[in-house]
Amino acid sequence: MDSSRLPVLIEVKNLHKWFGDLHAVDDVNLSISQGKVVVIIGPSGSGKSTLLRCMNYLETPTSGEVWFMGEKLTTDQKDLNRHRAEIGMVFQSFNLYAHLTVMENITLAQRVVKKTNKKEADAIAMEQLHKVGIADKADKLPSQISGGQQQRAAIARALAMTPKLMLFDEPTSALDPEMIKEVLDVMLLLAKEGITMAIVTHEMGFANAAADEVIFMDYGRIVERNTPEDLFNNPQSDRTRLFLSQILQK
Amino acid sequence: MALQNPATATSKVALKELTKQRLRTRLASFPWWLAAIGLIIATTLYLIAKSPSFNEAFSTIRAGIGVTLTITLISYSISLIIGLVTGLGRVSKNIGSQNIATFYVETMRGIPMLVSIFFIALVLVPGAVDLVGQLGTKLSGLGLTGIGNMLAAANNRAVSMSLRAIIALSITYGAYSAEIFRAGFQSVPVGQMEAARSQGLSHGQAMRHVILPQAIRNVLPAIGNDFIAMLKDSSLVSVLAVRDVTQIARLYAGHSFRFPEAYTTLSVMYLTMTLMLSMVVKLIEKRISPNGQ
Repeated sequence: MDSSRLPVLIEVKNLHKWFGDLHAVDDVNLSISQGKVVVIIGPSGSGKSTLLRCMNYLETPTSGEVWFMGEKLTTDQKDLNRHRAEIGMVFQSFNLYAHLTVMENITLAQRVVKKTNKKEADAIAMEQLHKVGIADKADKLPSQISGGQQQRAAIARALAMTPKLMLFDEPTSALDPEMIKEVLDVMLLLAKEGITMAIVTHEMGFANAAADEVIFMDYGRIVERNTPEDLFNNPQSDRTRLFLSQILQK
Repeated sequence: MALQNPATATSKVALKELTKQRLRTRLASFPWWLAAIGLIIATTLYLIAKSPSFNEAFSTIRAGIGVTLTITLISYSISLIIGLVTGLGRVSKNIGSQNIATFYVETMRGIPMLVSIFFIALVLVPGAVDLVGQLGTKLSGLGLTGIGNMLAAANNRAVSMSLRAIIALSITYGAYSAEIFRAGFQSVPVGQMEAARSQGLSHGQAMRHVILPQAIRNVLPAIGNDFIAMLKDSSLVSVLAVRDVTQIARLYAGHSFRFPEAYTTLSVMYLTMTLMLSMVVKLIEKRISPNGQ
């Protein structure tokens, strides 16, 4: 593997997250090099979303460290905001700002956080909307477009901040089946462009096509990690095998 | 002799039945209550025009409309600001502001409005004014004569009952609108805040640009209804001898013994004002709902 030669973008060290008595993330170590696509799979409740949300401190880890671009994340709000501006996040339920048009959704953070002027922010927004293929929806409210379009708008919103890293938290789980492909196609495009991504998903076909590494999690722990070919075709652990057989039978 | 076609006969019967049904639903959906209120208002207007005693009652009480509306408008505006700030405190993560806000809201909600108006106007305001006065005297003693003398001049006589009424209504209603705002903030899904924070917006920026606009849109109807409620509750300030419509009607009825004239006119006045306002609120509600959802 040549990943050792690429700079590490984000590194998770001995991460633990407790919710009351629930050990959601149990001693996870993980590093993602620049340009790599890492897909995290596992049964629901296995802690994969929590792990992802710890990567931008949307969830504060109970213990352990997250290093992003050589700096350790802390709860210092100023530092956190600065780092978060460089980490794009896409949510399962889109979370587009409901009171703003698609265009305004994409320009808000640019203008408020980066202080970009309106003209430039609009131009960047339009560029991203073209990329995700919904430039004609720029003036629509989120409630006026389909789920797939909303999720693509949310991706454009994250991309407009020119993030170093993109986090996807089950981006297609809330979508109707016929809309899943349009979102996955956009994500595939981003993977080809070399954007560093961490993706929690149940879409095994996508993982197979886009991932450099697939991580299988269960009970808050990383059970197995490998290239998609090896993990899907030759799983080493029984739990991975069981999970894959359950999911592929569907 | 042509026999009547039985099919036509039955369809005629069916048609009649259908027309009857339609009439019935139309009668059922007609706002009879509104017609009744309209009739009451019209009758009163007629009496005011034709009966000298009603006319006298009306022209006397009318003088208080300005006071009622002014007190309502000013108190309402202040109470909205208090409510917004307190509502923010209620949902704040800061334990101090959360407790202060909750203390204020629960205290106000636990006291009848009539009593809280007495308390604020006759205990709290004078107490605060005395405190300011003492502070002024102390500051003067310390050599800060400029600001000291200014504060020492604070005098309870200078605080009119109308001003006290406004303060009392604002503080009381501030607690009520705080609860509306709190509900508004909580009606915005957590994902909105998370999305904003994930983009690098600070908590304050996210509040201002993402949460607040949505929360306010959600509570607009409730806030409109609050205004109507305040218009009615402003009648309570008559106990402070503020010359609003209620106070003037009381005085008029007291010395003329024309109770029916005074209180019918007064009731119809409030009814007309609240009815018009609730129509405005409904209009606003209609205008914001198609985009809001």
